[in-house]
Amino acid sequence: MSLFDGRKRELRDEIEGHLRMATADRVAAGATPEDARREAMREFGNVPLVADVTRERWGWGWLESLVQDVRFALRQLWKTPGFTVTAILTLALGIGANTAIFTLVHEVLLKNLPVANPKTLVRLGDHEDCCYLNEVSSSRADSYSIFPYETYKNLRDHTEEFEQLAATQGGLADLTARRASGDAASHSSFGRFVSGNYFATFEVKSYAGRTLTPADDADGAEPVAMLSYRAWQRDYAGDPSVVGSSFYVNTHPVTIVGITPPGFYGDRMTDTPPDLYLPISEEPTLGFYGVRNSPDVGWLFLIGRVKPGVAQEALQEKVSVLLRQSLAQLKGFQTVRGQKLLAKAHVVLTPGGGGIASMQHNTASSLYLLLGLAGLVLLIACANIANLVLARGLARRSEVSIRMALGAARARVMRQMIVESVVLACLGGMAGVMLAYAGTKLLMEVMFTHGSEMPVSALPSLPVLGFAFAVSVLTGLIFGVAPAWMGSREQPANAMRGTNRSTRDKPSLLQRSLVVLQAALSVVLLIGAGLLGKSLDRMQHQNLGLVTNNRVIVDVSPSKAGYKPERLEGLYQQIEDKFHALPGVEHAGLTLYTPLSGSNWNWYVYVQGQPAPMPGKEVTTSFDRASPEYFKAIGQRLIRGRTFTSADTATSPRVAVVNEAFVKKLFKPGEDPIGQHFGANDIKNAGDFEIVGVVEDTRYQSARDLPDPMYFSPMLQQSPSRSTKDLDASLYAGQIVLQMKATTPGLEAQVRKTLASVDPNLSVDHYQMFTEQIEANLTGERMIAHLTLLFGLLALVLAAVGLYGVTAYGVQRQKQEIGIRMALGSTRGGVVGMVLRGAMLQTLAGLIVGIPVAGLCVRYIKSFQSQLYEVANMDASVIAAVVGTLVVAACLAGLVPARRAASVDPARALRAE
Amino acid sequence: MAKSGYQNRIELVQGTLDMLVLKTLQWGDQHGYGISQAIRASSNEVLQVETGSLYPALHRLERAGWVSAEWKKSDANQRAKFYRITALGKKQLANDYERWGKMVATIEAIMSAKERAL
Repeated sequence: MSLFDGRKRELRDEIEGHLRMATADRVAAGATPEDARREAMREFGNVPLVADVTRERWGWGWLESLVQDVRFALRQLWKTPGFTVTAILTLALGIGANTAIFTLVHEVLLKNLPVANPKTLVRLGDHEDCCYLNEVSSSRADSYSIFPYETYKNLRDHTEEFEQLAATQGGLADLTARRASGDAASHSSFGRFVSGNYFATFEVKSYAGRTLTPADDADGAEPVAMLSYRAWQRDYAGDPSVVGSSFYVNTHPVTIVGITPPGFYGDRMTDTPPDLYLPISEEPTLGFYGVRNSPDVGWLFLIGRVKPGVAQEALQEKVSVLLRQSLAQLKGFQTVRGQKLLAKAHVVLTPGGGGIASMQHNTASSLYLLLGLAGLVLLIACANIANLVLARGLARRSEVSIRMALGAARARVMRQMIVESVVLACLGGMAGVMLAYAGTKLLMEVMFTHGSEMPVSALPSLPVLGFAFAVSVLTGLIFGVAPAWMGSREQPANAMRGTNRSTRDKPSLLQRSLVVLQAALSVVLLIGAGLLGKSLDRMQHQNLGLVTNNRVIVDVSPSKAGYKPERLEGLYQQIEDKFHALPGVEHAGLTLYTPLSGSNWNWYVYVQGQPAPMPGKEVTTSFDRASPEYFKAIGQRLIRGRTFTSADTATSPRVAVVNEAFVKKLFKPGEDPIGQHFGANDIKNAGDFEIVGVVEDTRYQSARDLPDPMYFSPMLQQSPSRSTKDLDASLYAGQIVLQMKATTPGLEAQVRKTLASVDPNLSVDHYQMFTEQIEANLTGERMIAHLTLLFGLLALVLAAVGLYGVTAYGVQRQKQEIGIRMALGSTRGGVVGMVLRGAMLQTLAGLIVGIPVAGLCVRYIKSFQSQLYEVANMDASVIAAVVGTLVVAACLAGLVPARRAASVDPARALRAE
Repeated sequence: MAKSGYQNRIELVQGTLDMLVLKTLQWGDQHGYGISQAIRASSNEVLQVETGSLYPALHRLERAGWVSAEWKKSDANQRAKFYRITALGKKQLANDYERWGKMVATIEAIMSAKERAL
């Protein structure tokens, strides 16, 4: 079937009519019918050619011949199923990997929030430092992105350029929600405090009930909340009576007024979308820190919808002026130093269509690195298939020769071959899209802690399909053009002469170069994988200053259980006693947060007797709290002085334990830190704490960075300068640490029971081994290292297969030459050596090209990503391992064809003509 | 006949075939063979239209909407594809003819110019 069968028949009839009439006229003029017909034909010319040229005028000729080429290509591929299946599988892997990663790039990095007109949304600020920042001390490069509630109100009320300006909590509120009636257990939920106009700003309607309004956000308003569609389905099976019903959130009554729409996941891409949306007015009651009324704590991200035609620069300038107005009210900005800081304070407006882009900023470099790696694998696959196609093209030489002898144009032959390659690539692409669906889900699981919660669809969307198609066509062109060009250079007469005993049949330079290219690319990937693996290993087994085995971390939240600060002392005592009584417990400690738990508290510190530092030169230290047994329980060794004892109470003299980095940063070499005083936040407080002990450095904040200076306070001691009416959230212990004598089975149940026996309201928020907590910090690194290794091995296999293919092909073609050599006295060993030498030469060439390229790549990666931790650009052991692996792989790939070559029977090879 | 005939014929000037075909069709509907015969006859055997140009041209004109086609019985009672000039084709013919006139006049002016004093 062709597209134009009817029209073609018509054209044939038209031409036939012409010839008949011309013949008839000549017969009428007296010619014999035969002469007349011949003369008419002669006058008409080349009938098929005229028909061809005429058909081209229909304007669809290219399509028709393309359809012809595709059909021919499919027929050819069908005839060689082995080749076709191999190629499609290889391509499916290559294109699938690229498509899977592109799906994530598209879904995570490129997509806007599912709200109306995302393009008119504008974010106030250009970074996502979170979640409670002191406005005076922790501004980053003076560009403000996270704001106090007071500042938000000032900005909202004085910018008519915004249709709406909404505020949303930087972090999440850790809540316990229970329906007043009909809910047996309470649900651990994440909440987010948002301004009353939040849903109006995003123009998001409720799925059921109503959305939050500014009235809900007013002081003294009835406490209400919106439940997310996801939580509604998950916890209440979509029960419609949830809307309007009362809940207890952290034991406080709250009415659920509505359900958010199904597609809405809040103001940012995240793997922990909020379950509850609460008005900011409820933050003093339900929030952990109660910071709504603290004008110096930034905790709100701002995002607004600008009116049409508003100039960004002018708005940015105006917002910055308003910010400085607000900040000027703070005491910290009223000093000389503060004035200088204030002058530099500003806001940068950024596009807000993607919402708060922390996920995008955190994952972009990893995703693009992965995309690059997958691209390399695909390139290797291309080289492999190009070789297959080349070998196939040589086998089809006579077919091409005949077609050219029959008058096929070179361009047409070449085009046909390229079409065949592209068809093959598209078939591989289709298989790849299916693989990509599974691959995307897998990637999400490894990349994100709660990958399944991500508002990301693994189903290929139109842009993803477009990407896969474009990659397929490009792939087909890459691996198809060279073989097609080679094939169409065929001299028709040459191949038709038949077999000839020449050395011309050895694998061509192009084929060998492709193998070298493959080897080089796999060297690059393997070296990358080796370095990343080494860096991961360094991070996992570096001296964290800790022995991690047999240590358990239990997350608790006394504030959620309703404890007031005055009841904490008794609670902590009880917890320590009860856990000590558990069999197998060596030490039991309490703390605000343990190493690499993801939490961090920062203060500026000032040492008594030292001059005030220059503005911007203040020393930031991390702050933590420790119970008497904490350091022993976590395994952080004491170096000098003492740790805390039960005598260090809320009312005893204020003491502190510092780490070595703290000593190094704040004291001169040789100076004795013990007995020195320092304070936090303001130089006025410099006499607050006396240093009684020094502990070794331990990585608390990040597995890759050197430990920050740190100081520890006893669980319940507060700075005397702190105003008593503010709640000091740092008094609430966040984690319990247990050091066990040995691995204890069933410990988790015992821990839960013990905690419940202290207070039934006190629940275990999270239970894990210390090693698990540390490893959770390295999931990203591990994933990248593992995927690179996977890609590297895939590349190695492809390269080995390629080398095998070319060598085997060479042996096949050189059978007669080998036969002659053996007839002339060459030994089997000599033949094996000859074949292996060829294979090894290509591998060596690959190494020579690959290693410097890998060096360049590593340097490039280091320039934008701190993926390589404490690893030199070129690590000798890694290179040695890669060289070894490649040589072994090449030996294996070369040995099989070499042995086949050695088994050639000279007599038979010579006979076979 | 063929040889001497060839020598007397002249190649069609580029781009004039459309005009000649359309002009021929103004005298009435005609099939491809008829058109080629008509052009030859009205040029006193001087202009020979190659079929390799004629049929592609006819199909192109049809696609452009300047002619329409219909299968009809010919004088010899045979089925043939007859072309007919459309209103659009008539406009095009007028256009082509005007351009042609201008071109001939321009070329003539150059060719017949008297040598001028430098």
